Amino acid sequence: MSTADTDGTRRLDPDLDPDGSCGTAPSATAAAHPTVVHATNEYSSGVRGAFERCASLFVGLGITAGRMRARPKTLRYPFERLTLSPRWRGALRLTGLLGTDEVSTIQADCASYNARIGEMAAAGGLPPCTGNCPANVDARGQALYLAKGMSAEAYELVRLRNVLPGTMGRICHYPCESACKRNHYDEPIAIRPLHRVAYEGFQQVRAERVRPLPVTRGQRVAVIGSGPSGLAAAFDLMQQGYEVHCFEKEGKPGGALYSGVPAYRLPRDILHGEIDDLVAMGLRITSGVEVGVDMPIRHLIDEYDAVLIATGLQSSRMLPLPGADAEGVMGALEFLKVGNLTGDVGISGKRVLVVGGGNVAVDCARVALRVGASQVQMTSLESMDELPAHPWEIEEALDEGVVALCAWGPHSVMAEDGCVTGMRMQSVVSVFDAHGRFAPQFADEYMEVEADIVLFAIGQASDLHRLVEGSGLELTERGILPVDRTLMTTQADGVFACGEVVTGPGSAIGSIASGHEAAVSIHRYLQGIDLAEGRAFRPDLQCPRYGDVDLEGLQATRLRAKMPMAHPEERAKDFRSVELGITEAEGLREAQRCLQCESGVCVGCAFCARACPDYAIDVERVDDPDNRHVARYDLDLTKCCFCGLCAEQCPTGALRHTAQYELAFYHRDLMVFDKQEMQRPEEGSRATGADGCAGGGCD
Amino acid sequence: MRSYLFGVLWGFAAAILIALTALFGVWWERKVAGRMQMRFGPQQAGPAGVLQTLADTVKLVVKEDITPNLADVPVFKLMPYLVFVPSASAFAVIPFANGWAPFNTEASALFFLAVPGMGALGMLLAGWASHNTYGSLGGVRAAAQLVSYELPRTLSVLSLVVLAGTTSAVGIRGAWQWWWIVVLAPAFAVYFISSIAEVNRGPFDLPEAESELVAGYFVDYSGIRWAIFMMVEYSGIVAASLFGAATFLGGGLGIPGPLGVLLFVAFTVAFTTMMIWVKWSFPRLRPDQLMSFAWKVLTPVALVQLLVAGVVSAL
Amino acid sequence: MPDQEFNQELVVNVGPQHPSTHGVGRILLNLDGDIVRKAELIIGHLHRGIEKMAENRTYLQVVPLTDRLDYVGSMYANWAYCRAVEKAAAIDVPERAEYLRVIVCEMQRIASHMMSVGSSGADSGAFTVFVYAFDLRERIVELFEQLCGARLTYSYVRPGGVAFDAPDGWADAVLAEMRKLPTGLEELDKLLFGNVIARGRLKGVGIMSTEQAIAWGATGPVARGSGVALDIRRQDAYSVYPRIGFDVVVGDNGDAYDRARCRLLECFESVRIIEQAITQMPEGPILTDGIPRLIAPPKGDAYARIESARGTLGVYTVSDGGAKPYRVHFRSPAFCNVSLISRLAPSHVLSDLGVILGSLDPVFGEVDR
Repeated sequence: MSTADTDGTRRLDPDLDPDGSCGTAPSATAAAHPTVVHATNEYSSGVRGAFERCASLFVGLGITAGRMRARPKTLRYPFERLTLSPRWRGALRLTGLLGTDEVSTIQADCASYNARIGEMAAAGGLPPCTGNCPANVDARGQALYLAKGMSAEAYELVRLRNVLPGTMGRICHYPCESACKRNHYDEPIAIRPLHRVAYEGFQQVRAERVRPLPVTRGQRVAVIGSGPSGLAAAFDLMQQGYEVHCFEKEGKPGGALYSGVPAYRLPRDILHGEIDDLVAMGLRITSGVEVGVDMPIRHLIDEYDAVLIATGLQSSRMLPLPGADAEGVMGALEFLKVGNLTGDVGISGKRVLVVGGGNVAVDCARVALRVGASQVQMTSLESMDELPAHPWEIEEALDEGVVALCAWGPHSVMAEDGCVTGMRMQSVVSVFDAHGRFAPQFADEYMEVEADIVLFAIGQASDLHRLVEGSGLELTERGILPVDRTLMTTQADGVFACGEVVTGPGSAIGSIASGHEAAVSIHRYLQGIDLAEGRAFRPDLQCPRYGDVDLEGLQATRLRAKMPMAHPEERAKDFRSVELGITEAEGLREAQRCLQCESGVCVGCAFCARACPDYAIDVERVDDPDNRHVARYDLDLTKCCFCGLCAEQCPTGALRHTAQYELAFYHRDLMVFDKQEMQRPEEGSRATGADGCAGGGCD
Repeated sequence: MRSYLFGVLWGFAAAILIALTALFGVWWERKVAGRMQMRFGPQQAGPAGVLQTLADTVKLVVKEDITPNLADVPVFKLMPYLVFVPSASAFAVIPFANGWAPFNTEASALFFLAVPGMGALGMLLAGWASHNTYGSLGGVRAAAQLVSYELPRTLSVLSLVVLAGTTSAVGIRGAWQWWWIVVLAPAFAVYFISSIAEVNRGPFDLPEAESELVAGYFVDYSGIRWAIFMMVEYSGIVAASLFGAATFLGGGLGIPGPLGVLLFVAFTVAFTTMMIWVKWSFPRLRPDQLMSFAWKVLTPVALVQLLVAGVVSAL
Repeated sequence: MPDQEFNQELVVNVGPQHPSTHGVGRILLNLDGDIVRKAELIIGHLHRGIEKMAENRTYLQVVPLTDRLDYVGSMYANWAYCRAVEKAAAIDVPERAEYLRVIVCEMQRIASHMMSVGSSGADSGAFTVFVYAFDLRERIVELFEQLCGARLTYSYVRPGGVAFDAPDGWADAVLAEMRKLPTGLEELDKLLFGNVIARGRLKGVGIMSTEQAIAWGATGPVARGSGVALDIRRQDAYSVYPRIGFDVVVGDNGDAYDRARCRLLECFESVRIIEQAITQMPEGPILTDGIPRLIAPPKGDAYARIESARGTLGVYTVSDGGAKPYRVHFRSPAFCNVSLISRLAPSHVLSDLGVILGSLDPVFGEVDR
């Protein structure tokens, strides 16, 4: 027993702690009642102390002798080697320089595309834009083709995962761009405008490149609805060699893109041009047939080998407020549909109040301006910063003259003689509770807003009662079709569903993604393959938000191409396009801004040089638009401090730490690593032999 | 003439013996200390690194022999030998076998105690001649320490002398009785501790305290001269162990034949190991603690022991 | 008649190349015999102008520089600096990152204290204690290496979070290590702090009273050794420390022994903190989304302080709105503590100088900056 413990002040065992402040649960008392341990200890007095003093010497001898018995912990160099951690920071290695043969597009057919993405993500080689796209569109490949001037190839590459590139190039909410690594440095690549550039390029050669797809399999698939998800699934199935027949309720195909999205965002000729391409490739579309009304779904189930329900959400939710049945209260979808199809809703000169803060509400407000409303106001529960609508859409709407009344909740509709005169609003304290759930808290403060028309854009619902009649499908009490959200299967064998019927209100690209999933399921179903094998639920993606970047001093060629916009006051008068599109030359340059993320090749972006705290990296690159090659890459190892910031900054993963620690010092006399030296072969160099390999992390 | 020739021969043999003991001592210390510190110690040169010290010696011999600018050159260069010769001569009187020592005189036990003590002068002068503050401080410390610890060490051996009735080391070994182990245990403890101090080993390594005086009196020595100082230290350890085993334990507990030789070697190695063990387990004393330990603890214990030995021998 | 020639004090220059000056400290001693009459600390041998260099680097580029302040405990300067930047730029830190920071900084405290306790042994001649302490430090450093690939200059804490998430199994490896560590620490306690020679060397040396510790601006274990229960983790509980229970270790005599043993006992507290933090650590992101690589805090200044192994480590940043700091200043505890040597050393013998200096635990990278 050591003499050091005689005074007993030290408490090693937390269980003995008297105030219990050291439990694992968060303890508020820990700070309030500080406990103190005393470090001072003394020998006892008298004979006992003398004994303790002597004993302490033998205790010490015992400890050292005990260690002598144990096996030494050092290595028997050179017979044993250290196992290095995979994150070990050794000398840097550059894996390659930009070359067209070194980067490839993501090549996989629709049935194995998800697996390919999974492989790339597992290997850490998935470009963030692709990873953040619900449908995993290969935006990097698009930039690669466009940079080489191959816009038709770029279009076709995008179309593999995004069935309507030209359309989505105008309306997509581009989560890809918010994931773009250029966000870290300046501005993201304009991926969405590049879809448009690719579309324009494709139009030149459309006649030659659109060919009917061969029908190689005997099975036939019926798709109910021709919105983005239905078309995506149909296109996938056509590529697999199935015959696909699409049924559309409206007079023209396009679904929500046709009836919901306003024409100032999406000119109808573009949408229908692309759908015509699909038809030319073999898709049969029967318009004006509402399944469940004009034709029972039973008929489809019997006729076809598989049926896909992609009807989307067609009815607006209404609030059961007092006075909500007054004339002048409308649902958003009905309003948009009429506005889009006819261009005249009969509200000319009237004051419009849109209830809701989502994208549909913004669309309603902007359409209302264009159909002649004298004044358009939007009201939402959320504050300006929390609005669920995309910020750029809000900004455009405000530019056009929409007035936003944020943090006000609807209380009641004021009506006179059955006609709307305005709305009584109640102020909102908070919308979400501590857990982020929707639970609005209202304050006792009211405001009255005058309006002639009140539009409810607070949500959408589907009405499937007539559709499912006689199909064996059961709806839940709330009218929802139960669907497996991973496999897109319904209760009925051979009947699948996709799009907003499954996902709820969402983005067009999200619907397309679910269409791809449904197509995979249908293909497997028809081929008798296990549906669930290797598939997992693909959750909604979170878009990272980036702070402002200091753009000062950056070359103009490094900045993002600016999308030209129609003048706000002019454009708000009619349904002309708001975004005017970038030119082909701008598109070429924009495509060349792409960092070729995770490609493992150095693109000479020089971000490593900007990140280096020791100014040890020097990149000279040929900075003309036609030539992206790096002229010189030097890493001065006499300055390098192995902090690893450069390797972290490297968007392509071309800079890597190796385990060649010795190499760093071996080369100190050479002063710099030049390009050739850094691209040393995998088998190692004359300094160390093989690249040191790393063992497991924590074994 | 013949005796001179024998003397030279003996001297040569002794030099080799001392060099070998130092080689062994250094290697053994590095192995033992290494294992104590969870290391292997030397392991590359030769089996288990036994040739490591040899390689080090070669390195030290060919290393540049630096003399500081302001040093007192003749004294500086001479002092390693002045320290070495007395220390080495201690081997001459150690009774390696029953009734035999290389150099046997009536007062050989006193010779063993007194002659190596002259090394203190060498250390003092070596430190002084370096013209280095640390060297000087180390030299002064060495002189004070060696002189102080001579006393308890001599007193502890005197107990032996009283019991054996002779001042000859060979005689002591011859007269050894098993019950001395019991009676002279305190004397042996005093002998052992003061021997550690005499050879400047931890926890009494103040003259060369690394963390205070860098290297003490030999701070400015390098190459072979530095090696000689190290050799003195290690040969001192082995000599003290040999002498302790030969006298306090009667060689191999007085047993004749190979078993006795084996025991003698075993005791020597054990004492050497013990010195290494102590050095690597304990911190170093402060100069004032060192002095008070010598005068207030060791000397009284040795005196009481002497009294006990006297009483026992009178009985 | 005493001769003036022979009565003068001996001037000894200890350092900057001396085994027990903990790096490149230099002390000019006036010795009267063996007794120190005056000890003048001369610093600056490791001055690299880090505060000035920081003005020419972006906020992120300064992080590797902070590694080089207190190179025995790089995590602290990383964290203190990042806290200041986060304050200046109003950056939130995810909870998991805060827990990871607490875990690595408490591990760093053990590693740093092991260095200090070990050198308390080495300064008084017990080199084996140093090796045993370094063995414990080595275990921590290996965990750091698995975490961030570096053994000394981690650059692990970043504005807005930490650089890497813990690899799979790392937390378990840390917990397993923490369960083994107290055995080693107790062994050290017996080997050094129980030893009669070590107590003789450390006790009663360099005594600083509670009042003196407060008056002279000592922080960390140096102040706590003198009975000042000053711990920023308590007094200004930052990060997730309010949710964690631990004791403050203080000494009663204020001598070198108390200071050194305070450090050893704090390691037990750190083990407790790490075990709690790992249990409480939630899943989640480790870096706040959307931090640009060029952080440009609005005009203004920010001061943040943490409890490093050596005491109160403060960082003061001034921003002029640009992407590079206008001024960065480090309030380094080692600087304030080591300056006490000239007050504590006189009237002790030369042998005690190293012990007193070691008990102040200076790291000259942080002293000189």
